[in-house]
Amino acid sequence: MRDPYTVLGVSPNASDQEIKKAYRELARKYHPDNYVDNPLADLAEEKMKEINEAYEAIQKQRSGGGSSYQSSSSSSGGYQGGYQQQRQYSGNPTYARVRNLINMGDLNTAEQLLNEVPQHGGEWYFLRGSIAYRRGWLDEAMQNYSLAVQMEPGNMEYRQALNMMQRGGQAYRPYASAGGMDGLDCCTTMLCLNCLCGGCN
Amino acid sequence: MFGYVRPVRDELKCRDFDLYRAAYCGLCRCMKKRCGWTSTWFLNYDFTFLALLLTPGEEPYTPCRKRCSVKPFLKKTMCPASPALELAADESVVLTWWQLRDKIQDEGFWKGLPARGLSVLLGRSYRKAARHCPDFDRTVRERLGELSALERENCPSIDRTADTFARLLQAAAPATGDPLRDRPLEELLYHLGRWIYLIDAQDDLEEDAQAGRYNPVAARFGPQGNREALELTLNHSLNRMYSAAQLLSFGRRWPVIENILYLGLPLVQRAVLEGSWKQIQKQTIWRQNQ
Repeated sequence: MRDPYTVLGVSPNASDQEIKKAYRELARKYHPDNYVDNPLADLAEEKMKEINEAYEAIQKQRSGGGSSYQSSSSSSGGYQGGYQQQRQYSGNPTYARVRNLINMGDLNTAEQLLNEVPQHGGEWYFLRGSIAYRRGWLDEAMQNYSLAVQMEPGNMEYRQALNMMQRGGQAYRPYASAGGMDGLDCCTTMLCLNCLCGGCN
Repeated sequence: MFGYVRPVRDELKCRDFDLYRAAYCGLCRCMKKRCGWTSTWFLNYDFTFLALLLTPGEEPYTPCRKRCSVKPFLKKTMCPASPALELAADESVVLTWWQLRDKIQDEGFWKGLPARGLSVLLGRSYRKAARHCPDFDRTVRERLGELSALERENCPSIDRTADTFARLLQAAAPATGDPLRDRPLEELLYHLGRWIYLIDAQDDLEEDAQAGRYNPVAARFGPQGNREALELTLNHSLNRMYSAAQLLSFGRRWPVIENILYLGLPLVQRAVLEGSWKQIQKQTIWRQNQ
């Protein structure tokens, strides 16, 4: 295992407060919400695990290996387990196989299998959307998720997928206050555009 | 690649700005050394970003002073030649060449003349570059071929057309065998390619309509385009890039890469969607008194 302080990017002399801050920032970065259905979700999950382990190891060290801290440290790693996505499987065994293939990243086989299904219901469009999303075909993913929701408006899984598309996805942003500069008024935008091209000097 | 990928200078620390310029000058020198001086005319910000992405995170930043290849009486601080810079230089030339060929095919005889002239001048450079990276050369040719086929049949899907260019750019980072580096970098380049393709399509919307050419945004959303829908899908591609970039380590180059991804791209996107991009595009990000 790597040195826990290196994992969190802090010096071994850092205060408990600093360590907690660094841990929180990293946990925000690799939070499962930023990698929903993302083809890189497994890598982010690994990172998260590493960060959690490092944080717990440091807490253990600092408390002198006391057992009283152990219980609190496991509860502080509150992000554990968030990556396991619970999916309700329908009765159709083909769809269950398609879901498996998508999770393993074998999108071509999943698509072939799906194309062999004669009747197209809500789940069929949802899975087609999932395949498109994994590939990065975001517009087609959105269209398919919309159809799935139209056909089965009561299904929460489809609704969640469509909601995520309508938000334009989610990712960690370091310039938190600027919100990716979405909240700027017209004048500020013009100022920024000036920065972009080097202004008039 | 048309200069859409650039940093926001005023948000950069001086040392990061210096690093960016050193990478730009280093890439220029590399292009000149490997492919001949005509190739340096086609140097742009997008290729500089590619060079930054391809440089391994653990590689230290060790600039040197060398003569500028455009103004030989000046000495400039630049990154010395490295495998990543050389790869980026070769790939830039290959990509520029195929885009010129593409333009010649699309335009009529008279309108295609400037591109034809440039491609003659770039011919020698291209042949050298293609010898250095034959795999990338083949991939670019194949993908652009697929793209022309889709354009001929008036493909109504922005995903399918953008996919060809996205996979083309994805191929710019050859696999190293380390999935922890390869997978996120491929995802980052895929969505960067998708973003560039769609931004370019939106930028050309009016021009293509006048010339009666195929435009993927018009084919999907109608001749006027659809600003909200396009913005949504572009933002989503940005988010996919961000999630991928956070899994990579760029070391000393991260601040400038972060600036380009999180500030530069959204601002360019806004400018293109608002229609103010054309005036900004030609201006340089370097200070003029330097």
